[in-house]
Amino acid sequence: MSTAYRNRIQEFKVALGEENINLKTLRELCFNGIPFEGGIRALCWKILLNYLPLDQTIWESFLKKQREVYSQFLKEMIIQPGIAKANLGLSREDVTMEDHPLNPNPDSRWNTYFKDNEILLQIDKDVRRLYPDMAFFQRPTEYPCQLILDPQNDYETLRRRVEQTTLKAQTVNRNRSGVTNVSSPGKALNLYPSNEYEVLPNGSEAHWEVVERILFIYAKLNPGIAYVQGMNEIVGPIYYTFATDPNSEWKEHAEADTFFCFTNLMSENRDNFIKSLDDSQCGITYKMESVYSMLKDKDLVLYLKLEEQNIKPQYFTFRWLTLLLSQEFLLPDVIRIWDTLFSDQDRFHFLILVCCAMLILIRDNLLAGDFTVNMRLLQDYPISDVHTILTKAKELQDNS
Amino acid sequence: MAKKTYDLLFKLLLIGDSGVGKTCVLFRFSDDAFNTTFISTIGIDFKIKTVELQGKKIKLQIWDTAGQERFHTITTSYYRGAMGIMLVYDITNAKSFENISKWLRNIDEHANEDVERMLLGNKCDMEDKRVVPKAKGEQIAREHGIRFFETSAKANINIEKAFLTLAEDILRKTPVKEPNSENVDISSGGGVTGWKSKCCS
Repeated sequence: MSTAYRNRIQEFKVALGEENINLKTLRELCFNGIPFEGGIRALCWKILLNYLPLDQTIWESFLKKQREVYSQFLKEMIIQPGIAKANLGLSREDVTMEDHPLNPNPDSRWNTYFKDNEILLQIDKDVRRLYPDMAFFQRPTEYPCQLILDPQNDYETLRRRVEQTTLKAQTVNRNRSGVTNVSSPGKALNLYPSNEYEVLPNGSEAHWEVVERILFIYAKLNPGIAYVQGMNEIVGPIYYTFATDPNSEWKEHAEADTFFCFTNLMSENRDNFIKSLDDSQCGITYKMESVYSMLKDKDLVLYLKLEEQNIKPQYFTFRWLTLLLSQEFLLPDVIRIWDTLFSDQDRFHFLILVCCAMLILIRDNLLAGDFTVNMRLLQDYPISDVHTILTKAKELQDNS
Repeated sequence: MAKKTYDLLFKLLLIGDSGVGKTCVLFRFSDDAFNTTFISTIGIDFKIKTVELQGKKIKLQIWDTAGQERFHTITTSYYRGAMGIMLVYDITNAKSFENISKWLRNIDEHANEDVERMLLGNKCDMEDKRVVPKAKGEQIAREHGIRFFETSAKANINIEKAFLTLAEDILRKTPVKEPNSENVDISSGGGVTGWKSKCCS
C-alpha cells in the first residue's frame, strides 16, 4: 500500500471519526473514489444515500430500529402470506365465502397473492441472471436470513412459490395432454424453467435470493411502480458492496441496509422507471435529450454528426441513464463510478455529464464511423478506464 | 465516406415477452453461439449481419427490444422504421403465448402497414416442458396470415432459416433496382413513385 493511499484512508478515517459527520467534507473526499479497506466504502455509501444520519451517536439505535422494520416487512409480506398458503387445505380459515382463491374481486387477498406471483416470477427471471460473469451472486451467503429459513416456520418461501407456480402449470398440461387448456387466461401464470439454474439446498441461500427478496419487498411497498427490469442492476452493486464489507457486524445486516439505501436511491431515480412519466419534465425522455443538448453545447461537431446519422439518444442513453451505467462497465468500475455519482449533491445531473464525457472521449471514432460502427461503439462502450471518464466529466462540469 | 459493402439494408425488430429468448435468438444468428446467462435487455440493443440472397448482399440491421410492459413507449418508437418484425414467444411459457395478440395489436398500431411479420415459438428443444402445442402456434399464425417457425437458439433449430425467410419475404416486395441506376433510393420507395409520376405526366 503506497503512502499516499494510506494517507487517503487516514483522511477518511478522520472524517468518519467525527461525532457529527461533516457531509460536505465527506462528499469532497468520496468524489475521487472511496477505499474499500476497513469497510469505508460501504459506510460512506450508507451516509451518501441518506440512510445513516450524520450524528454518529444515534447510529446504534437507528440501525436497530431500521433492521426491525425490515424484519417486520419480511413477516408481513413473505412469511404470513406463505403461512396462509401453506395452511390452505389444512385449516380452512383463509378460505371463506368472502375470500377464496378464485375470488375475482381485485381487493381479494388471494387475487393479490396471484398478482404478486407474477411480479415475483419477473424478479426471479432477472435476479438469476444478475452479473452472470461473476460467481458472487450464485454463491451462498454467510448470513442466510434466519427468519426466512427457520425450520419451525412451516410456510411457503419465495423459492417454493416460484417452483410451485412453475410446477402447477406443468401438471395441468400433463394431465390433459392436449391442445385445449393452454390459452385459458390467468390460470397457468407464467412458466419458468427454474431448474436451468442451480438452487442451493435448504438451509442456505444464494446472494441472488437475498436480492430477490429485497426487490419483492420493494415491489410490495411501492405498488405504483412495483418491479421494473433493470432495478436488479441497481440493487446489485449496492448489495455487493454491503455484503462484502470486511466488518461482519455490518455485513450481517447487508440485506436490510441495502433495502433502505436502494429505496432512498430509487426515490431520486424512480421517475425513470415510470412509463406514464416518460414524456414529462421529470421522465426519462427529457433526461435522454438533455445528454444531447449538453453535447450540443460542449461539442457541436460531434452532436451534428450523431444527428446527421440519425443516432437518437434513446438508442443508448436509455440504458446508460436508467441503470446508472451499471451495464456498461465491469462491477468494480461501476462501483467506482457510483462513488463519484453518490458523492455529488446533484447526482443525476452529474450522470448526464458522465454520459456526455463518454461521448466526447470517443469523438474521433464517432466522427469517422458510419451508423453501424457508431451504434456498436455506443452499445458496447470501448473505454474501460473509468478514471479518464470521470476526470473528463469533472472538467465539463468545471467549464460550465 | 465508407464504401457501401451491401446492396440492400433491411431493418428488423425482435419483440415478445421478457425471458422468451429474443436476445439468444439474435445472438445465435449473429454470432452462431448460445449463452444461457444473458442479462436482461434494457431499452434496446442492436446487431448487424450481412447475408446473401438471390445474388444480393443484404445487410440486416436487427434491433432487440426489452420485453417488459414498462419499456413499450421506448420500444414502440422503433416499430415505424422496421421492415420485418419477429414476434417471439416461449413454448414453455403459456403467458408469453397468450400475449401474442397484444403484441400483434402493438404492431398494427405502431408499425408500417406493409411490415413483414413472423411468429417464432422459441425453446423448442425443451419438449418435456412444453405447454404450447405446435398446432396452437400454427393456428394463430394462420389466422393472422403470417409465417411461423418453432425455433431453438440453444439447439440451433430454424434460427437461420427464420431470419433468411423473413429477409426473402422483404426482398420479394422490394422494388427491383435497375442494374445501372445508382441513384435510385430503393429503401424509401421514393424511386417508384418518381417513376410513376414521370410516366403519367
